[in-house]
Order: sequence, then C-alpha cells, then structure tokens
Amino acid sequence: MRRRSDTLLNIYVGLVLLFLALPIAIVIPAAFNTDPTLAFPPKGLSLKWFETAWNHQPFWDALWITIAVAVLASAISLIIGTLASFAIVRHKFPGREMLELLFMTPLVFPAIVLAVALVMVLGPLGLVRTFWGLVFAHVIVTVPYVVRTVGATLSEIDIAYEEAARTLGANPLKAFFLVTLPMLRPGLIAGAVFAAIISFDEFTISLFLVGPGVMTLPLEIYYYTEFQMDPTVAAISAMLVAFTAVVIVLVERFIGMQKQFRH
Amino acid sequence: MSATTSRSKRTIEILALVLPGVVLLGAGLIWPFATMIHMSLLDKYPGETALTLTHYLQFVTDSYFIGIALRTFGLALVVTLLTAIIGYPVAWFLARSQSRFKHLVFLGVVSPLLVSIVVRTIGWTILLGNEGLVNAALLALGIIDEPVRLMQSFWSVVVGMVHVLLPFMVLSIASVLGKIDGSLMEAAAVLGANPRRTFTRVVLPLSVQGIAAGSVIVFCLCIGAYITPIWLGRGHVTVMSISIYEQMVVMVEWPLGAAASMILTFATLLILLAYGFAIRRHAKR
Repeated sequence: MRRRSDTLLNIYVGLVLLFLALPIAIVIPAAFNTDPTLAFPPKGLSLKWFETAWNHQPFWDALWITIAVAVLASAISLIIGTLASFAIVRHKFPGREMLELLFMTPLVFPAIVLAVALVMVLGPLGLVRTFWGLVFAHVIVTVPYVVRTVGATLSEIDIAYEEAARTLGANPLKAFFLVTLPMLRPGLIAGAVFAAIISFDEFTISLFLVGPGVMTLPLEIYYYTEFQMDPTVAAISAMLVAFTAVVIVLVERFIGMQKQFRH
Repeated sequence: MSATTSRSKRTIEILALVLPGVVLLGAGLIWPFATMIHMSLLDKYPGETALTLTHYLQFVTDSYFIGIALRTFGLALVVTLLTAIIGYPVAWFLARSQSRFKHLVFLGVVSPLLVSIVVRTIGWTILLGNEGLVNAALLALGIIDEPVRLMQSFWSVVVGMVHVLLPFMVLSIASVLGKIDGSLMEAAAVLGANPRRTFTRVVLPLSVQGIAAGSVIVFCLCIGAYITPIWLGRGHVTVMSISIYEQMVVMVEWPLGAAASMILTFATLLILLAYGFAIRRHAKR
C-alpha cells in the first residue's frame, strides 16, 4: 500500500517535471527545422536558422546592451543592497521593518505599474529610451534579490566572529574584510548572479524604456516575432537555453541552488 | 567612551548603510508612485486644468474595462488554484520524500525560473501552434481531422502562466511542509487515523500557511503579468496590464493609464492585506 502510493507520487512528480521542461526543451529540435515554420516535429534537419540568428545584427546589438545593463545593474544593486542588508540584519532602528518591506515591494508590485510609474518620472528627465534610464529601472527590480540572498546569508553568520576579531585587536574595517566578508561571499555571489539573471530576462519594465539604439535582447526577439515567426527565434532560444544550462551548472557547483531557495 | 558618543556613532553607521537604499527607493519607487497618483487625478495631460476622479469612474462603470478587470482576476484565480493543486504533491515530494532523486527534482523545479521568459513563451508557441506538438499528436491519434486553434485563447494563457508560476507555489508550500514535525503524523497514525485522515486533519491544516503564501505570490505576479498574456493570447486575451500598455503607449492617455494602474495596485495591496489578516487569524487559532 505504502509502496504503491510512493510509486504514484514518483510518476506524478515526473509528469510535472516533464510539463516544466517540455516547453523549454522543445525549442531545440524546432530550431533545426528545414521549413520556415515553428513546428514540431521538424520536417528535416538544417542549421540555417542558427546561421540566420547568428548573422542578425540587431540580436548582437541588443545582446551587448543587455549584458552591459545586467552587469551594471547587478553591481549597483549588490553595493546598495548589501549595505542595506547589514543595517536590516545587524541593527535595530525605527523604520527597520518598513525599510525591509519597501525593499521587497518590487517583487510583488505589478511590473506593469512600476514601469508606468517609472516612465512618468524618467520621461520629463529625458531618461526614457536611454541606456542609463534602463540601468536605473533594472536596479530597482534587482535590488530585492540582493537584499534577500545577502540578508539570508548574513543572518546565519554569528556576529560573535566579528566581535572576537575586534577583541583580538582588529579595527572594524579589518574585522569586516578579514572575517565577515569571506563568510558572506556565497551570499554575495548568489545575489549578484540572481540580479544579473533577473536583469537579463527583464521584459515588462524594459518594454517602456527601450527605443532605437537602446534595445534589450528579450524585446528584440519579441519585436522580431511581430514580423515573422520562423525558426530563427527557436534558434536564438536554443542558444539562450544552452547559456542558462551553463549558468545553472555553475551556480549549482559553486553556491548550491538549494541553499538560495530555502528561505 | 561615553554611551552617548557610541550611540551617535551607531546612528551614523546605520544612516550610512541605509542612505543609498533609501535614496534609491525614494527616487525609483516612492516618487514615481506619488507622480502616478497625481497623474491619475488630472483631467487631461499635458495641459491639465483640474483634479478629477473621472478616470477612476470611467474604469469602474465602463463595461469594457469591467470585462478586462474580471478577466484579469479570473485568470489569476484559476492560475492560483491550478498551481496549488498541481504543486502540492510536488512540494510534498521535495519536503518529505526519501528519494535519492530529490535533489534533481529540486533542480528541475527551480531551473525554469532561470530560463528567459521569452524562450518559454516561444516553447509554448511551438507546442500549442497549429503545427505544434499537441496538434500533431491529436492528428496522429485520429482524435481531430484538422489542427485546432489552441493559441490565442484564455486557456493557452492559463497554461503558460501556470508554467511560469508553478515553481513559486511549490517552493513556498515545500518550505512549510518541511517544517512539520514528522512525529505529529506518527502520533495521528498511532491514534488510529488512516493516511487520508492524517492528511486532512493534521498535515493539510498545518500547511495552509504555505499554500496561502504561495497563492499571494502567484496571484500578485499573475495580475501584473504582461508577456505571457500578450504572446499566447495574441490580442484575443486582453488583461489589465495589456490594457494599461495600450492606454499609455498606443493612445497616450496618461491619466487613464495611471488610474488603471492605481486600481491594479489597490487590488494587489488589498490581497496582501487580506492575506496578512488571514495569517494572523490562522496563527491565533
């Protein structure tokens, strides 16, 4: 009896995993189709759509901008978010809970509303459709991830270590850099990686802030499909899936995914 | 060193730590939000002459907008229910199973979160399109004679949203299930409860918080979603976020777009408040 229900559960979990993996995995065979349609199964095998995607200059332009925005936004988020995590985890001060809540707001706030609100202030400043406007908006949406992951790691580091270093004669700065920072490193890396991934994939907020010359890759792919739905988009998707797989393996190897999602 | 100087030093330290964050959130969250509230009350923009509630009234009285609002909340409700029902056993597996594949299952659940949403949407287009896998399978099995239109429908959006949001639900239920003391279940069994009764009387009530937390996240993310409804609905499933985009970018009706955004925000806040209230009541029992 116990055995049978376990088997049933295993089969069920397998089916759910299939549901989660299928729409992602299917872009790979679809990218090899000979026909100019997004079809499965493919009619024949060809590499031409990879070539089209590779030679499509707008994808490259958008890719570089997306990477630049992701790197800058996650770096800025990492600095601001880490400072704030220290205040929130290590200190008690009036408005602490309010601040913590405020930092988490972009996570549950409707993205479209945040986008509209940002346009209303960035517009008059002339920052809509500019690179720095995009970076600013991405910092707002990525900073919660840093505060959460860094805060979670920090709350597990006993302050006694730092105090011990202080007792042994280290000044606050030295105690921080030699004791706390190395222990915090997994949280910092995880925060930065998640911030970069969120920024790389951001769609709704960028939708309002991109323009000629400032286009991100998800939006460039989206606009491409407005004119044609051929396997080129499957080819670029397949390349993104391969890239994500590498990131997942690296994250898993160096920080451990389970640790970051436990909270 | 006196107590007052150490306290003021502490205050300076806290200020230095929080100031960059406060400036950032002030400039990127509070100020934009205040601007939006103001914008939603202008009679027209640019060239405003008065403050008015017309745009809010238009939204709550116009049957077109009511239809959009109902569709948005209906979609979020259906998606929340489905993710909870589909996700619960998976969360159970993650929290309670002794399987050696547990770690792989965990990776399988969270990995899709890291894959670009554009890729996932293209994947669903390939699965649900007229020449997609589902139609090909149905044709091969002889269930249908010609491809059926699966895209551009409410249910294709539901499927896409469930796919996007399921991991959030699974993770929040699993984190609560993982904290339940196993001896409680043994106790129930010892006292004569069969597995079903143990589940409905012991485990389920204890995991309500996880379902509630997951539901709030899924619901909030669902009513704010844009790309999945517009891509899989292809103009046939207008939800509030799509309507807001149209008002802002296509029709350049900023005050109306701002009012619609405010209504969406109020709805989200109400759900969060109701959730907080329910959790407090649940904790008291």
